[in-house]
Amino acid sequence: MNRKSIQTAKRLYTVLLILFMYAPIFAMIALSFNASKFRAVWGGFTLDWYQRLIHDHVILSAFYNTILIALIASILATLIGTLAALGISVLPSRSRTASLAVANIPMLNADIVTGISLMLLFIACRIKLGFASVLIAHITFDIPFVILSVLPKLKQSRQRTYEAALDLGADSWQAFWRIIFPDILPGILSGFMLAFTMSIDDFIITHFTKGPGVDTLSTCIYSEVRKGIRPEMYALSTLLFVLVLLLLILINYQPAKGNRKGVKRLVLSRVVPGALILSFLVFALFYARNDTAAAGQGQVIVYNWGEYLDPDVVAQFEEETGIHVVYEEYETNEIMYPKIASGAIAYDAVCPSEYMVQRMIDEDLLYAFDAKDLPQSGNIGDRYWKISGSIDPENRYFVPYYWGTVGILYNKSKVKEPVDSWSILWDKKYKGEILMQNSVRDALGITLKYLGYSLNSTDLDELHEARDMLIRQKPLVQAYVVDQVRDMMIGNEAALAVIYSGEAHVSQAANPDLAYAIPKEGSNVWMDGWVIPKNAKNKDNAKKWISFLCRPDIAKKNFEYITYSVTNEKVRDLVDDPVLKNSPILWSTDEELTDLETFRYLGKENTDLYNRLWRDIKSH
Amino acid sequence: MNNKLIEMRSISKTYHTRTVLDDFSLYVRENEFLTLLGPSGCGKTTLLRILGGFETPDSGRVFFEGKDITDLAPNKRPLNTVFQNDTIFYHMSVADNIAFSLKIRGVSRAAIEDEVEKALHLVGLDGYGDRMPDTMSGGQAQRVQIARAIISRPKVLLLDEPLSALDLKLRQSMQYELIRLKEELGITFIYVTHDQEEALTMSDTVVVINGGRIQQIGRPEDIYNEPQNAFTADFIGDGNIFDALMIRDELVNILGTDFPCVDVGFGQNNPVDVIIRPEDVELVDPDKGTIRGVVTSVLFRGVHYEMDVLAHGYHWMARSTRMVPEGTEVGIMIDPFNIQVMHKPTRPDQETFTHA
Amino acid sequence: MRRRSWLAAPFILWSAAFIIIPLLLIVYFGMTDGDGAFTWSNLAAMAEVDNLKALGLALLLSLSATLICLILAYPIAMILAERRTSSGTLIAMLFILPMWMNFLLRTMAWQTLLEKNGVINTLLHVLRLPSVTLIYTPSAVVLGMVYNFLPFMILPLYTVLSKIDRDVLLAARDLGAGPWQTFLRITLPLSTPGMISGITMVFVPSLTTFVITDMLGGGKVQLIGNTIEQEFIQGSSWHVGSGLSLILMIFVLISMAFVAKYDPQQSGSLIGGGGRE
Repeated sequence: MNRKSIQTAKRLYTVLLILFMYAPIFAMIALSFNASKFRAVWGGFTLDWYQRLIHDHVILSAFYNTILIALIASILATLIGTLAALGISVLPSRSRTASLAVANIPMLNADIVTGISLMLLFIACRIKLGFASVLIAHITFDIPFVILSVLPKLKQSRQRTYEAALDLGADSWQAFWRIIFPDILPGILSGFMLAFTMSIDDFIITHFTKGPGVDTLSTCIYSEVRKGIRPEMYALSTLLFVLVLLLLILINYQPAKGNRKGVKRLVLSRVVPGALILSFLVFALFYARNDTAAAGQGQVIVYNWGEYLDPDVVAQFEEETGIHVVYEEYETNEIMYPKIASGAIAYDAVCPSEYMVQRMIDEDLLYAFDAKDLPQSGNIGDRYWKISGSIDPENRYFVPYYWGTVGILYNKSKVKEPVDSWSILWDKKYKGEILMQNSVRDALGITLKYLGYSLNSTDLDELHEARDMLIRQKPLVQAYVVDQVRDMMIGNEAALAVIYSGEAHVSQAANPDLAYAIPKEGSNVWMDGWVIPKNAKNKDNAKKWISFLCRPDIAKKNFEYITYSVTNEKVRDLVDDPVLKNSPILWSTDEELTDLETFRYLGKENTDLYNRLWRDIKSH
Repeated sequence: MNNKLIEMRSISKTYHTRTVLDDFSLYVRENEFLTLLGPSGCGKTTLLRILGGFETPDSGRVFFEGKDITDLAPNKRPLNTVFQNDTIFYHMSVADNIAFSLKIRGVSRAAIEDEVEKALHLVGLDGYGDRMPDTMSGGQAQRVQIARAIISRPKVLLLDEPLSALDLKLRQSMQYELIRLKEELGITFIYVTHDQEEALTMSDTVVVINGGRIQQIGRPEDIYNEPQNAFTADFIGDGNIFDALMIRDELVNILGTDFPCVDVGFGQNNPVDVIIRPEDVELVDPDKGTIRGVVTSVLFRGVHYEMDVLAHGYHWMARSTRMVPEGTEVGIMIDPFNIQVMHKPTRPDQETFTHA
Repeated sequence: MRRRSWLAAPFILWSAAFIIIPLLLIVYFGMTDGDGAFTWSNLAAMAEVDNLKALGLALLLSLSATLICLILAYPIAMILAERRTSSGTLIAMLFILPMWMNFLLRTMAWQTLLEKNGVINTLLHVLRLPSVTLIYTPSAVVLGMVYNFLPFMILPLYTVLSKIDRDVLLAARDLGAGPWQTFLRITLPLSTPGMISGITMVFVPSLTTFVITDMLGGGKVQLIGNTIEQEFIQGSSWHVGSGLSLILMIFVLISMAFVAKYDPQQSGSLIGGGGRE
């Protein structure tokens, strides 16, 4: 190999590796121009998402939160970390090693452990989970990066120049600023950049330490994953990417020859990036201020499923009542539960599923009120009160909101036979074409139903039988998914999927090849509804909120946004869209509901048992 | 000291637009201590790196014992280098550092131990084998580098300003050590330095380089006493350098006064450069000198005094063991043998160093 | 100068409050049951077959990812370090830049590339090649790990490699070592601190990840991070989760010991040591 071909090989390798790093980013950029809302379908080129982004309050405020938190956290971390490095560098070697070991913990420790341990601390100390707690967490994991960037610059040899400065008449303060500071500045800057990058990129720690009303891009995206990422997010990421790339190129700008120190270079590499960043920050702060401006007739803290409400509804409620809504989202009942149980945050209105409501009633976490007597409660159909009555017999805690069934969504072009039994999910013909729900109760529940048992079974033999069935099924399964079912089915990625009826409707609307069936062995009917935790501070406002949502026009608005089956009997008449109005999936008849069973909370021991069985299946 | 061990023919090397070596030719005899002497940037280090195999010349060839080695990789050459920078392998002990080239060659462990002992002894580091290099002083580290380079008995040792980082005393003692080493090993040394004292002290042959060209080759005494151009005269030792006029053979006009000299063949009424070493400027009674002047300052230099004498508008530097007090009127007398006449520079690299 | 040590006070206080105490809380939860009584059972939970399997698989996948990262990163770090100019740093920055795009979005984007009808399979189809199952396999999880943590391997390696004096390498060549021997005997040992630091920075987050597994493993790959996450998020069992986290921290401690042993000066830390002196 001659020198030239070695050079070519090196260049090729660099380019390939950079391509590898940027491949998903290019995919993201492409998606931002995709006219289809679904990841799996290319619907042509559009700039729509960029236009919508400007008006998307949720994404923009999450974005500015991200920047603000990253900025404040990295500045404070840089300050504490630089001071720490200065201090640590003169410590005797043993305490030096100890301090460094402590500094290393957040960097080397698993994010999940760091996040959880901080969450435990905040909850134990009753520190409100919110902006401040996220900020503290970010500062904590940012500091080590700063220390480890600055410390190597404080080599012992530099001590001499510091002493020389003292000798030349500088006081220690001057000597620091004139000698040591310029020396360690590159370390400080790269520490700052690293801290900022880590903050921006963090998801796990923020996820565990955040509270109501505070969302960063990461947590916002994570809650969106459930219903599919909104393309505005890709648009924002594309803009961010272009901005950062531009900054990087400008800062490193070197004119080809001559005037290296010229005005042009100064302007392009310093002034322009500086101005860009500054205007960006001013805009961010302006936006953040705008964000917290609302106030009035007190507030109501709402804790709801992600993407479970038309954002306009919140604005309308605030406008009509003057009550400020603090809106917070969760992804699963189990994430929501400990936050309520620990009392760390006093939520006013929460929207759990029926089995979780039952658990919360059992554990005396809920406030009793006459759910049926709210001004608008009458709009809710009796058959839904009957379902909720199975866990709340006197209807004192729980206002039914949405409901749905679990069934099979199948692709008619791939499945030619009729689908009427769960058995098709065990048919070897469909190896690699089956999507299962990645959740204990759903997966075991349908299997128990298939075997002819109750989906609340606690009988060990029955459960073991169901577990063995699922283990046998595993090689046939393409993936266990929660959030991605819809996108995957729309994109023809699989033939069969266990799915919630609401998702089934959305998928079918986007891909007419899809059809939904509830197997004859029976299935699960679930119901989400509103409750008021016992420790709520604004119970009256919470009632107003719940009642407001039961108003037919509001319920209709939400229905059209989410397209899940509603409990509100008045909605169907108001709906104009024939597809929605006539969907057989969304409007079940009474007899379809009879074979269906609701989940019940099975107690701690049985919950552990279920979880263990699930792990048996997953790790098999 | 007869056969040409190394020969460089018409080497040229250019970095970007700067020509570092310009049609450079030189040969080195076996067992010679040859020093490449010149100011920094003169091309001497580049020359060494071409010899070591770390650079390829743009044109020209390098021969070793008659074989063309221009394209041979560094590890295949029978030359070893002692680098100017600290190139100790800090992750190895002193002994491992020294044993490196033998290990690469797969020499048996017992033989290696033996050789390392000898090498350590040779550089005066007996018993240091197990130390880690970062616990050693600069001088010791430099000895380790030398020991490391000589253990495999290279035919030629290239030394790139190996003593420049050491203090004066250590430098002087290392100079003697190097001469002793060379004699004990019986190999050829090619030594690069910008320190003229070092060059004059140690070398058999000194090659004065400036601007990528050879200015003069010769024994240290010749280089000092008979510089062939203003650059060499100025760079080596101190001197009074004049723009002068060669009236005719054996008579040169300096500062308007005619001085008899011994040089011939410079033509008649021809501009020339003249150098007179300070120790050759004799201060005598005003009447006995060729020209008159006044002592303007006196410095005590240990062995001798250094006097600045203003005469005919020129500050003459004179050295003598006899002190002449400041303000004294003196006469200046020069022995014709001590006037060195040189041709005027035809290229910039031959001009005086201080003016360059 | 001793007086300067009080500057570390804010850091010491901060880390006591937000690093040490939270860890002690994990220890507390890990060693007690729901009623606050002492128990070993949460720690012993790791010995259950499922958890051992999940841990074993996590070790296998994260070690593979670490090895692949090392193999991919070393040449690029060498290439960048060789440049010794600002263009080297610029390209190094190019490897950090993707981290500014959200981690979840980037991982999601891999789905778009890898899935059955995804970009790669579509390309294969166009080229009339058979399609391949890329997504929802352990390999896809490893790919996700490599992709997300590769910069953490490149940066420390780049830092140490660019600090190696080129003359040291020339000296080895001069002393008879060929390019390969020079690499093995000089470059490799001198880059150990960077390697150790890079290995830890890739290995630990890979070992404990649950997001990558969820997104690219399709729920079919159960790693110990998923188990812990499920204990906290789905099972609402903080005690078992904490117990498992404690066990997991053993691996973190081993990594820290490695770093302390091979890189006591922290010279291999990310960009920090990067300035050439």
